[in-house]
Amino acid sequence: MSYVNTGDLLNFQDYSPEHNRTARIDVEAVHTNQYNSGNSNFNYEEPKIVTEDEEPAPKSGNHNFWTIEYYQKYFDVHTNEVVERIISSVLPQKVSRNYFDERIKGKPDLYGPIWISVTLIFTIAVSGNIASYLQNANKEIHWRYDFHLTPESPTMMSLFCLYGYSLSIYIPVAILWTIQVSWLQWLLVLLGAFVSGAVLIFWLLPALRKSKYFLVLIASILAFHFLLAAGFMLYFFHVPDNVTTVLTTSTTAKAIVNSA
Amino acid sequence: MTSFDAKYDMYPAGDVGVVEGEMNIPNQGVPSGNSMEFNTLDEPIKETFMRDLRAVGSKFFHVLIPREKTSLLKEWDLWGPLLLCTFMATILQGSSDTANTKIGDGGPEFAEVFVLVWIGAGIVTLNSKLLGGNMSFFQSVCVLGYCLLPVALSLVICRIILFATQNTFLFFLRFVISMTGFMWATLAATKFLGDSQPEGKKGLAVYPICLFYFILSWLVLSHNAA
Repeated sequence: MSYVNTGDLLNFQDYSPEHNRTARIDVEAVHTNQYNSGNSNFNYEEPKIVTEDEEPAPKSGNHNFWTIEYYQKYFDVHTNEVVERIISSVLPQKVSRNYFDERIKGKPDLYGPIWISVTLIFTIAVSGNIASYLQNANKEIHWRYDFHLTPESPTMMSLFCLYGYSLSIYIPVAILWTIQVSWLQWLLVLLGAFVSGAVLIFWLLPALRKSKYFLVLIASILAFHFLLAAGFMLYFFHVPDNVTTVLTTSTTAKAIVNSA
Repeated sequence: MTSFDAKYDMYPAGDVGVVEGEMNIPNQGVPSGNSMEFNTLDEPIKETFMRDLRAVGSKFFHVLIPREKTSLLKEWDLWGPLLLCTFMATILQGSSDTANTKIGDGGPEFAEVFVLVWIGAGIVTLNSKLLGGNMSFFQSVCVLGYCLLPVALSLVICRIILFATQNTFLFFLRFVISMTGFMWATLAATKFLGDSQPEGKKGLAVYPICLFYFILSWLVLSHNAA
């Protein structure tokens, strides 16, 4: 009728006779199609949010990755769940064999991993200071934040969550590292590496069994955990043996000789 | 045909209506409105300054005795946090004089304390937003900043104690004082912010607050006068 664009629209969409009955229907259809295509993009990335807020969806459709709501699903845990996950990461024999499959895989959270690593960083900083105070050495401790989160896939996320919880054993260990007895420190390194590695292996056992490199994977997990624990300890808490022998008295010298 | 045109016409008309409504509000001069309904253009600058200072002071008082929440939560400002943060960073900063001693006294730089406070408050707030808390970003930053007051007070007391010759008892005293500041700050912040969290997540929101104040109290305790 009086529409200017009608001809263009009809030319573009001239594939079925029903659509050409009136121009108005076509115009509306085109407009709704535009909005729908925007929504379908949005749907593809994150279906949960669409059901919650349908009104601002066209606005935030392109930037939904940067909204807080996108990440809220990774923080949807309750206090008792987090406590349970921490306990089961320190004492893996208390939980069922398929704990990872049952609990964490379906609902990975970022709360535990993030705050456990933040706590670990600060525990190491504080305990490292106490350790250097006990060593009578005025060492300066550097620490920096290092968590870059790249959520690529759900599996990646659940593995990250699992790994973060397995680090929680290092928090009490880091406090105990302040005790300046060399053999005890190395014992704690072994303990921490073994417990955190064992938790990972235990939880991932069903998945690991399917792999050809079953033993290699387990050995490398344990080896990397040992390296991590030894790195923490040597860098932050340990004094080289020749310095310790000068500083400490004969009571601990024996222990140092034993460990070396 | 008319309905489609009317759709496009409605939006500019609606916008104009909103602007008109906002411009009319000051002319109406609602008598029962809040206390911001006065003209501050022709008053002496001293009065403006004192009024803001009094507002900050009353908020400090509310932090020390956390009974009512509205003043901190509804009329948030960042002046108090800025004052406290600058104060703490000024006192806590270590001397970077590496000429006399080998490494300096190992204390943090001014900027390190400053960034730790603000980034820390930001991260704690982000955490409570991610957990689903229903309060605005700056409200929470304001409360966390004002609740630094007990920690800052413990820093003042510890600084005075540091003038005396140090022994084990005085170290223990400083430990007790800084831990009291930590507990007080955490309790006050929990009281203000705790209700904004959904049930069952309160512990998860309180833990980062504890950690935040604990780190700052640790800095207070480990501060040694050069």
